[in-house]
Amino acid sequence: MDLQEKLKILADSAKYDASCSSSGSNRKSKHGVGNTALSGICHSFASDGRCISLLKILFTNCCIFDCKYCLNRRSNSIKRAIFTPEEVCSITLNFYRRNYIEGLFLSSGILKSPDYTMELIIKTVSLLRHKYHFHGYIHAKAIPGSSQKLVKELGLLVDRLSANIELPTENELKRLAPNKTSQNVSSIMNYVNQNQSKKYVPAGQSTQMIIGATKESDLDIMNKSASLYRSFHLKRVFYSAYVPINKDSYLPSIICPPLTRENRLYQADWLLRFYHFQVKDLLDFKHPNFNTMIDPKADWALRHFDEFPKEISTCSYYDLLKIPGIGVKSAKRILTARKHFTIHFEDLKRMGVVLKRAKYFILCNGKYFINHKWFQKEWIEKNLVLEEKIEKEENNMEQLRLF
Amino acid sequence: MNHVYVYDGDYLSLLNTIFYLLKTNQKVENIKPENYSPTLFENIIHFNIPKQDHLLDQIIQSFGISVARAMYYVFLSEEEKKELLLYYFVYYALKYRKKIMYQRNLKCVREVLRISNYVLHESHKLKGFLRFQELQNHLLYAEMSPTNDILFLLSCHFSKRLKNEFWIIKDVKRKIISIYDKKKFVILSEREFKLSLEKENDQEKMIEDLWKTFYNTIGIQERKNDRCRMNFMPKKYWKYITEVRDEL
Repeated sequence: MDLQEKLKILADSAKYDASCSSSGSNRKSKHGVGNTALSGICHSFASDGRCISLLKILFTNCCIFDCKYCLNRRSNSIKRAIFTPEEVCSITLNFYRRNYIEGLFLSSGILKSPDYTMELIIKTVSLLRHKYHFHGYIHAKAIPGSSQKLVKELGLLVDRLSANIELPTENELKRLAPNKTSQNVSSIMNYVNQNQSKKYVPAGQSTQMIIGATKESDLDIMNKSASLYRSFHLKRVFYSAYVPINKDSYLPSIICPPLTRENRLYQADWLLRFYHFQVKDLLDFKHPNFNTMIDPKADWALRHFDEFPKEISTCSYYDLLKIPGIGVKSAKRILTARKHFTIHFEDLKRMGVVLKRAKYFILCNGKYFINHKWFQKEWIEKNLVLEEKIEKEENNMEQLRLF
Repeated sequence: MNHVYVYDGDYLSLLNTIFYLLKTNQKVENIKPENYSPTLFENIIHFNIPKQDHLLDQIIQSFGISVARAMYYVFLSEEEKKELLLYYFVYYALKYRKKIMYQRNLKCVREVLRISNYVLHESHKLKGFLRFQELQNHLLYAEMSPTNDILFLLSCHFSKRLKNEFWIIKDVKRKIISIYDKKKFVILSEREFKLSLEKENDQEKMIEDLWKTFYNTIGIQERKNDRCRMNFMPKKYWKYITEVRDEL
């Protein structure tokens, strides 16, 4: 099998992993090639609009596990391939020197045993770092079930280490991925969390959950994310809309991946990490799923309508963050600007604050953007839904074709 | 008759002109680089003032480093009236000093912020989108045609990243090149340095094909979203991006 075909097979098998970020590490080049940029750099964008910053490949797509949702499961009859460590190094270096990529993302199917696979990954990465003096970004997958000694060794070589939790609840994991246990994954996360430093996994760890392959609600998913952020200080939890690749009685029969739901989860994820929201603010047992028509923050605002409208010139930073359409940057800009002059609606616009959603929820010097009698929940809700619809149509989202 | 003040074309000379104009309290209608072609109704004024090298330090000290950077980025932009904008900006900066950037209700402050961000964003994008090809003797060569003059910013980035390589980056639009010799880079105009490069190369073709294979495989068919891709990777850059060039 030539290199071209191998790369095709092993990139194809790796593409369902959502993570591609290359940020958070500040590795300097001493001798040899490469460094990393703290902000991360996107090098290209694939036909699905997702960024390509790392050479995302599997070491091999041979796998002894039989996870129902996975393309590479043992019971699928697909073409299998395996790289040699030297091949991975050569492709990575050749791509890196030409500025195609920011670094390497190396994952793998389980060959023989978790430990054996981990050793192969370590061998490859250590070759890159020590023989070829490569100082670019490396994101490696820790194989669940491998020994702690190997997790330790790999963490010293890479910028980011991740282990995928795949599904939010233990029961569903048992049903769809009989060979995996969440215990294995969390023990890796725990170890990385306790040892993380400038030398060990400098860019931190991340994980991924599959959305829509099981019946879990958004509440289950968000609770899981929140607990992961809390207990293991993850940099990111990625949500990956389930793409129906395998036909299986265990799996739902859908045609399109649930992209809107994925989008809502990311929005809510941001609210947890940067906007001081709690899961219980956003969802509860009565409303276990996000509103598909309105984004989570606007939805929250409508449910807490008596807290609005908020006065821009006096309300606190935390209150500013609760206003739909106002992000961290805008809130900070408002804070500094209002010390220097009185803010009117036009000033907000000029400062780059997007008023599309925010205007319904704020007062500037006691004034609403139109006559105050329009400040009514139903009217605002209608407008928000309409605007979101227009935005979606503009973006030509796949779901709308189904409606 | 409009009075147009001209400067040498480099940043320091522009700063000199601006500070001189402010000091002497002259009425300013426009400031342009030397090589600009005036219209019939314009009266060109060129001063021969000694260059003051300390101006840059003075700006950093009195306005702060981030303001100094933003001003330089504006200079690198293609904005038509950037010189005049910087003139007004310096006028207000001398008044507000380090607090100038908070004065977002001033148009010149907003414009400086907008334009400097635009230049910085483009340079960040090109850090990703620039594509090298390997020529003989391991020389890496890249072409680009950015909207703003970001060759210097990019050269700084790549002199750290590709420290132990020889590379050349060419700005096709401005006809300038940056050459790096494993120690430092110099920026030359094409007139000063004639490039003669042989580009066809089997090994290079193989690696480009490998990359195109990867690129075409990694997108998920079920999530295809051309609009999203275009937002992040505007078509104006495609001509020089190996993996999408053929789609043009």
